[in-house]
Amino acid sequence: MGQDHHISPVTGPETDAPVLIGVDVGGTFTDFVFQTGTGLEVLKHPTSVPDPGVTVRAGVDAWMAQHPARRQAEQAPRIRHGTTIATNAVLQRKGARTALITTVGFRDLLVLGRQNRPSLYALSQSRPALLIPDELRFEVRERVTAAGEVQTPLDLEDVDRVIDRIKAMDIEAVCVVFLFSFLYPEHERTVGRRLAERLPDTPVSLSVDVLPEYREFERTITTATNAWLQPGVGRYLSRLARGLPHRSFDVMQSNGGTTGLRGASRLPVHLLVSGPAGGVVGALDTARIAMATATPHIMTLDMGGTSTDVALCQGGTPITTESDIGGLPIRVPLIDIHTVGAGGGSLARVDSAGTLRVGPGSAGAEPGPACYGRGGHQATVTDANLVLGRLLPDWPLGGADGVSLKPELAEKAVARLGAALGGRGTVETALAIVDIANAAMERALRVVSVETGHNPAEFTLLPFGGAGALHACDLAQGLDMRHILVPETPGVLSAQGLLLAETTRIASRSVLMTDQEARHAPAVVAQAVRELTGEARRLLEEDGQTDFAVAVSADVRYRGQSHELQVPCPTPVTPDTIEQTLENFHLAHEKRFGFTDRQNGVEIVNLRVMATCPPPPSPVQAPAAPAETSSPEPTGTTLAWFSPEAATSIPWYARTSLAPGHRVIGPALILQPDCTTLVGPEWQALVDSWLNLQMTPLSMP
Amino acid sequence: MSPIGDLHLDVWRHRLSGVAEEMGETLRRTGFSPNIKERLDYSCAVFDPEGEMVAQAAHIPAHLGAMPASVQTVLPLFDDWRDGDLVIVNDPFKGGNHLPDITMVSPVCTGPADRPDFFVASRAHHADVGGMSPGSMPLSTEIHQEGIIIPPVRLYRQGHLNRDLQALVLRNVRTPEERRGDINAQVAAHRVGTRRLVALCDRHGLEEVRRSAGLLMDRSEATVRAAIRSWPDGRWTFEDFLEWNGADNERGETELIKLRVALEVRDDNLHLDFSGTAPTFAGSLNAVIAITMSASYYAVLCLLEEGTAVNSGCFRPFRFTAPPGTVVNALSPSAVAGGNVETSQRIVDLVLGAFAQAMPDRLPAASQGTMNNLTVGGTLTDGTPWSYYETMAGGMGGGPDRPGLDAVHVHMTNTRNTPVEAIELTWPVQVETCAVRHGSGGAGRFAGGHGIVRAYRLLRECTATMLSERRAQPPWGLGGGHPGATGRNELQRADGQTVHLPGKFSVRCRPGDVLRIATPGGGGWGMEPSEPKS
Repeated sequence: MGQDHHISPVTGPETDAPVLIGVDVGGTFTDFVFQTGTGLEVLKHPTSVPDPGVTVRAGVDAWMAQHPARRQAEQAPRIRHGTTIATNAVLQRKGARTALITTVGFRDLLVLGRQNRPSLYALSQSRPALLIPDELRFEVRERVTAAGEVQTPLDLEDVDRVIDRIKAMDIEAVCVVFLFSFLYPEHERTVGRRLAERLPDTPVSLSVDVLPEYREFERTITTATNAWLQPGVGRYLSRLARGLPHRSFDVMQSNGGTTGLRGASRLPVHLLVSGPAGGVVGALDTARIAMATATPHIMTLDMGGTSTDVALCQGGTPITTESDIGGLPIRVPLIDIHTVGAGGGSLARVDSAGTLRVGPGSAGAEPGPACYGRGGHQATVTDANLVLGRLLPDWPLGGADGVSLKPELAEKAVARLGAALGGRGTVETALAIVDIANAAMERALRVVSVETGHNPAEFTLLPFGGAGALHACDLAQGLDMRHILVPETPGVLSAQGLLLAETTRIASRSVLMTDQEARHAPAVVAQAVRELTGEARRLLEEDGQTDFAVAVSADVRYRGQSHELQVPCPTPVTPDTIEQTLENFHLAHEKRFGFTDRQNGVEIVNLRVMATCPPPPSPVQAPAAPAETSSPEPTGTTLAWFSPEAATSIPWYARTSLAPGHRVIGPALILQPDCTTLVGPEWQALVDSWLNLQMTPLSMP
Repeated sequence: MSPIGDLHLDVWRHRLSGVAEEMGETLRRTGFSPNIKERLDYSCAVFDPEGEMVAQAAHIPAHLGAMPASVQTVLPLFDDWRDGDLVIVNDPFKGGNHLPDITMVSPVCTGPADRPDFFVASRAHHADVGGMSPGSMPLSTEIHQEGIIIPPVRLYRQGHLNRDLQALVLRNVRTPEERRGDINAQVAAHRVGTRRLVALCDRHGLEEVRRSAGLLMDRSEATVRAAIRSWPDGRWTFEDFLEWNGADNERGETELIKLRVALEVRDDNLHLDFSGTAPTFAGSLNAVIAITMSASYYAVLCLLEEGTAVNSGCFRPFRFTAPPGTVVNALSPSAVAGGNVETSQRIVDLVLGAFAQAMPDRLPAASQGTMNNLTVGGTLTDGTPWSYYETMAGGMGGGPDRPGLDAVHVHMTNTRNTPVEAIELTWPVQVETCAVRHGSGGAGRFAGGHGIVRAYRLLRECTATMLSERRAQPPWGLGGGHPGATGRNELQRADGQTVHLPGKFSVRCRPGDVLRIATPGGGGWGMEPSEPKS
């Protein structure tokens, strides 16, 4: 247990270009990708608990030990880091002791939330612990109206009294959220300055800096989460960076762009889906090259042990500002990744009506599926796949921590379930388990598509992670998708994506104008855009970036609607570009919802400026040499079941034995250390020039 | 061994529930009003040709059993269904539950013939359907005051919109543009549901889809029957009360209206007998039978294992006795606006109270038992009418294993609140406070959750209308737990005078007046450890 996998060897001779290192820390494994001037090296280490930084340092140190010249400052690597530190803190509710200062009358906002209960049909239920308990929430007298006018001036004596109490309470971070501060930030700023004077070592988050947008509960949660994460994330990152030789150290943000150490420590709320965001960036890069288009339409499928992450990309990274992370409505822009509660570890069981169910319970990483031999006894989706011969015992999934799978334990668990279902055979039970798990995922993928007004059939399915490629053909078939793209190293795609991420900064603000107001006062819009651009520029310059491009967008809705669509807003702002922005909105609404309502008034709610530095070049290697023949030699054969009647003898191929031009006709398995691809009975896989597998239905012309 | 031998049946639960979910997602995404988009006050469902509900995506328990009642009422009224037809209805006495809930039903013809193989239905709460007060949740005495009544009529015939009918409906509501948007959103949801069902039948064959739908209902029935069988046999009665102080709030005298149920558990059947419940009265708290059934289904669903697929099979073990002309089975022209929101909550308390006697260790104390419906409206400087509707959270009852939650919606609703900043940006209202009402949860071994306090400063002349309960009779405790605090409604006049308002009121407010609503706490469960056992 616990040995490392070397997935691909070093290629080419050493050069002295600085190496680019992508490190993605996952729950079970930490993935490393080293890009030198000549090649790509990939490494996997089990993640150390409780400090994943130990693994990161060990992995980089081990590589550096082989390349001593790289220790010199000018040769030191550029490091890019995908981290779960913020996510884990939220999921485990382990953050700093944080105080909240808010407008008088509103200190309970965090308790009230949006007043909905977590479960509709449970007679007794609990909520996750509050980020900031009762005794750490303070009010001060101040009030700004919806017009942005001061109704009650900030009471400075109140402020000092509150700071006195905070000083006496051993508090690690403070956040300040006042009503309508996005219209009049001065009250928050004054408190911020006062805190900086009197508590110079305590990090402070102002809502106007974290999320200057309306909806006070979401703004409060987002700002509070940021403050609550700041001390822990700051400590982790500075310790990590100190221990590693580096020329630059960037951290992946949830929006698919990277930020520097300072930015990450100041706004850690932007790191909540850091790791998965790397996967989506990597998937898009793979697709751009393999499909020879700048704007591929792909659906990513990252299937893990307990859940599956899905993102629908129409040419670029999909961004949302409506997300729920560990029960917190975080409203900063992040890659729109949907999590489906079905994975390889989903448990199969018999319900009270005597029928088969799969999930929502999961065996998780511990004890894991029965076939891991770590004490799990209930059959899981992975056990069913093993029974069906779709996994080979010696080629386990990435999540299996390098152990071989034990087919006899899988058989036993599935057979026991078959007996409980009224004497059903092991194979037919296993087939039904896989079928139901696929149906659960298919349902979720359809709802994700409908949310954005798309038909999944128009997309290419791009599976990665341990188990995605095992279920891809079944899912594509159910969703009428006719193209699947399996990257060369699906197990480390997230780390690969880190190398490609753009450095971005976003500045936004609520403006709340009607279309008429915007038409009559384009100067007001132009002024806001100028200020936001300055803000984004300042953020980039803080991290030493000067070369960047700016994109402006607006969140727009019809009067009476309560949700906005983000549409591009051409610049420089003129009456014409305002018309164009409004037109962009009508078109986007038509595309997403199938209708427009041009008689209705339109409202511009937020303006957003995104400043982006050019991305590093793709680490994908030059095309590999083509194979001499289109039909590769199987590495071996194995028995697999696709119907309960009989097993089929199918070929299997080691992924490393495949070369461009090779065609694998299904049913077949393609194996690599951390991923198994099932080429379904009705499918074929073509190895492309970049060693991706491009799978299509056999029946396709 | 299960009589349902299909190993793959759960695949069909995902497929058919997925259709309802996709409809719901379409409705949410395309809806206009905060009611739909923010408060998620809607449901979508798939039905077989007999009107049995096959799958449902419900965010609101109040819609649970009421959708089947709608479809079963509508189906026999039309004998020439065509592909592309769509029936609209809100008549509470012909398949609706109260006027703001607009239901649509449309056939799905999967073959070349115009024969409905399935039906899809949707229901959404519309923010205004006319009537005597903005928001259409008035203190009415008969239904004709509550808004436009739409009997089951075809809004679409073979895909063609009946523009005359649409114009008639929109002329009778206060916010026609928003209504048009929300009605279109429902139609869009029906298109998505129809397309998905047709695709499923194309791929798997109509027979297979119908067979699986039937088995799914059989399975849910078996699940519910297995649960009922595990409960003790017997007959238990329980009484609880609604409060009515008349439309004339100056009087302020509260009359108690009795609700009574006898719960009978025999083997794997349930009988709920509401005989002994007060007759309907001239007030808006009467409930049609569909609401009584929904509330009862909800109460029982809470006692089942998680993940039970909700479909008509769940409802087969139930038998109801509810004398016509009583508060729980109102007849036309009774006023029913509040039946859906307030009486439904009391029916849940009633049914759970009866179960608490059968299984004292499994049931919680009463929750706040009201939705605290507030509507405020008037006209802006330029004469445009405005109206703001909100329902407010309260305390959840303490349970046998943990305390009740503070500040949440309970039982028949789970709608979200409107953000304070959204309120102030949209309406001439300022929110002065929004806080936990400490001390309002009933004490006990597991205390009830606390209610909330919300205070609104009204910036223009307007009318505030409130429909709230548990202002006189507190949410009950259980097993020695104390009751939660009753709710309180107050108006602080700009001149400093404070007026105490009853549970139901409609009051003219002047600029500067502050309306303060304190919602009830939940009842406590079990004796407090410090209390001496009696």
